[in-house]
Amino acid sequence: MSKFQEMRTVLSHEGYLIEALKGIGYTPEVCAEGSALFGYMGDERPERAHVIVRRRQLDSASNDIGFRRDEGGVYRAIISEYDRGIGFDDAWLGRIAQAYKERQTMAVAKAKGYVFQGRQVVETPQGKKVQLRFAVR
Amino acid sequence: MKQKTVTIEIDEQGNSSIDLAGFQGKGCGDVANAFQSTDVVTKSRTKREFYVETAGQQSQQQRTQ
Repeated sequence: MSKFQEMRTVLSHEGYLIEALKGIGYTPEVCAEGSALFGYMGDERPERAHVIVRRRQLDSASNDIGFRRDEGGVYRAIISEYDRGIGFDDAWLGRIAQAYKERQTMAVAKAKGYVFQGRQVVETPQGKKVQLRFAVR
Repeated sequence: MKQKTVTIEIDEQGNSSIDLAGFQGKGCGDVANAFQSTDVVTKSRTKREFYVETAGQQSQQQRTQ
């Protein structure tokens, strides 16, 4: 049985988190009261989360991945050791943070009345960067 | 008149920076603040024209005193 580990994130907005997960191909389950995570054998684990990517969407031997909202309103990622080892690691969380920030930026710009002009993905030695351009009246 | 544009760049760790073009003086800071106050932007770069305009305003203020 692979042990779950909690990792801090900077994500705090449920809507942006859900949209970010959807944007990279997952269908997250949302449970305001928190729901149990399941291991790869279908065994219910004591860990609970508010936003969950069920294991069937991950690798064949994966466990569920959860995001638990802590007392401060910030999400903590709950990922098993196994899943961290096969790529659901800090870099994966970073890509979720990137998608989250993109949605947050679009929402803030829209609220300010800025006009969206385009999105560009730029390859850099540090990885892909997303550029969002807006016109200000 | 030069168009005012804002470019937000987001890296694979979720860190973001803002680049402003076509702004002069205080307007530049206002737009940067709009994104910084909502945690969208973690870093900002201010272009030379911002300093030129700000310096110009300061010297004008000094002259009128």
